[in-house]
Amino acid sequence: MFKLKISLTVLCYLLISGALASEFGVALKVDDIRAQPFGDAKSLGKLTLNEKVTILNRQGGWLQIKRTKNTGWVRMLSIRSGNVAKKSNPANGLLSLASGRAGTGKIVATTGIRGLSEEELRSATFNLQQLTLVESYGVSATQAQQFASEAPLRARQFDYLPVPK
Amino acid sequence: MNIINRLAILCATLSIVAPAVAFDFGALQSQVQQHQQELQQAQRKIEEEQQRIRLQQQQLHQEPTQLIQQLPVSPAAIGVIKDVAGPTQTEEIALGRQIAGNLLGAAALVNDAPLQRYVNKVGRWVANQSERPDLPWHFGVIDSTDLNAFAMPGGYIFVTKGLYKLLQNESELAGVLGHEIGHVIRKHHLKILQQSKLLAAGSQTLTQQVGNNEAVQKVIGSGAEIMSRALDKGAEFEADSISVVLVTRAGYDAYGLPSVLQLIDHSANDENAVALLFKTHPLPEERLDKLSQSMGERFDRIQGETLAQRFYRLK
Repeated sequence: MFKLKISLTVLCYLLISGALASEFGVALKVDDIRAQPFGDAKSLGKLTLNEKVTILNRQGGWLQIKRTKNTGWVRMLSIRSGNVAKKSNPANGLLSLASGRAGTGKIVATTGIRGLSEEELRSATFNLQQLTLVESYGVSATQAQQFASEAPLRARQFDYLPVPK
Repeated sequence: MNIINRLAILCATLSIVAPAVAFDFGALQSQVQQHQQELQQAQRKIEEEQQRIRLQQQQLHQEPTQLIQQLPVSPAAIGVIKDVAGPTQTEEIALGRQIAGNLLGAAALVNDAPLQRYVNKVGRWVANQSERPDLPWHFGVIDSTDLNAFAMPGGYIFVTKGLYKLLQNESELAGVLGHEIGHVIRKHHLKILQQSKLLAAGSQTLTQQVGNNEAVQKVIGSGAEIMSRALDKGAEFEADSISVVLVTRAGYDAYGLPSVLQLIDHSANDENAVALLFKTHPLPEERLDKLSQSMGERFDRIQGETLAQRFYRLK
């Protein structure tokens, strides 16, 4: 019984690690690897540019990554996630779209042919029926507040960001 | 001896100071009364001045058409004034409404009322956190497989079905809408129209809110063509930066938009579905890099909701 429990645990671990091992990321910049997902947590070293890492987890703006040397947390925006090389073959467009993303492993692809080209926008003609319809869906500030409180989402103060140099 | 000496000096000092203080009180009292009177006079003057400013402001806020009746100013001169001051909010909404009507002529709404209502609630809640909560905000998902979103002056915002289907949770939707709300509140497209000088020419008839307004159409050019024009890169980075702030204010996870950008980044440059998006926007990688710079450490300890459960999924 005990043995079975252990082998089940091992099996689960293998399954999970197998699933997560498929999520890779590439370091976009030389950034600190932290012991915890905080800017002032202990530094465990630095990423090297274009270093390939395995993404284990996401928390807020941080990704938990595994690399050859150690495991730690880096800022999400320092990593480009995904397995497929970018801008490869035009025919790979949809394939690369389905390459997954940081922390989800979700595969998404769009099918169909209806696009929205410049030409279509230029030749578009006014559709009052559709405009009236979209206007009928509008909600008031109070209704939105009610919707937020159901989540619950609470409004908080936060300043606009300075423009980077 | 020393102590007695000091005591004697102390007593002498006190006896001199005491009457002097009593005398000073009398003088002070009359001075205080005088100051109080002066203060009252000054307050009255301030009130008069405030009243005068209020009247001036009321006059300034009147629509130019009303001013035409009051002042001997030619319509041409009004056009020049508007060119500098920018269109009024009523005109801004009329312009956006016309572009929205045209865009819907190219791609109709997805026929799913609960979806459209849901998107309006999320969008309005994010817009409530901006400095223009009183605009008549409208949001919609349009039937196109492209990955794109559009913002029109006055608060008309559309997301394509293609982009919507990529989203995983409510905070990502909020992030996409937040970017478009950023364009509206900073009047990015309105500024393009102003630069083209068309706005002043058609300005006098923009306030009529009828169906297909020909005067408004003249201003916006052909169809919804204005939506295929690229803004400058700075405006796109600004809208990204506004998005992460507005969604944070709204209580969401700040990384909704960055997550979507990472996802779009995986799609090839020449893919049809992103052709227009990549023509009109800097590449996602560049946008992520700019966001990373401006966000810095500011969001490190900010927790927010992603709301994957509540997210309305398209079949």
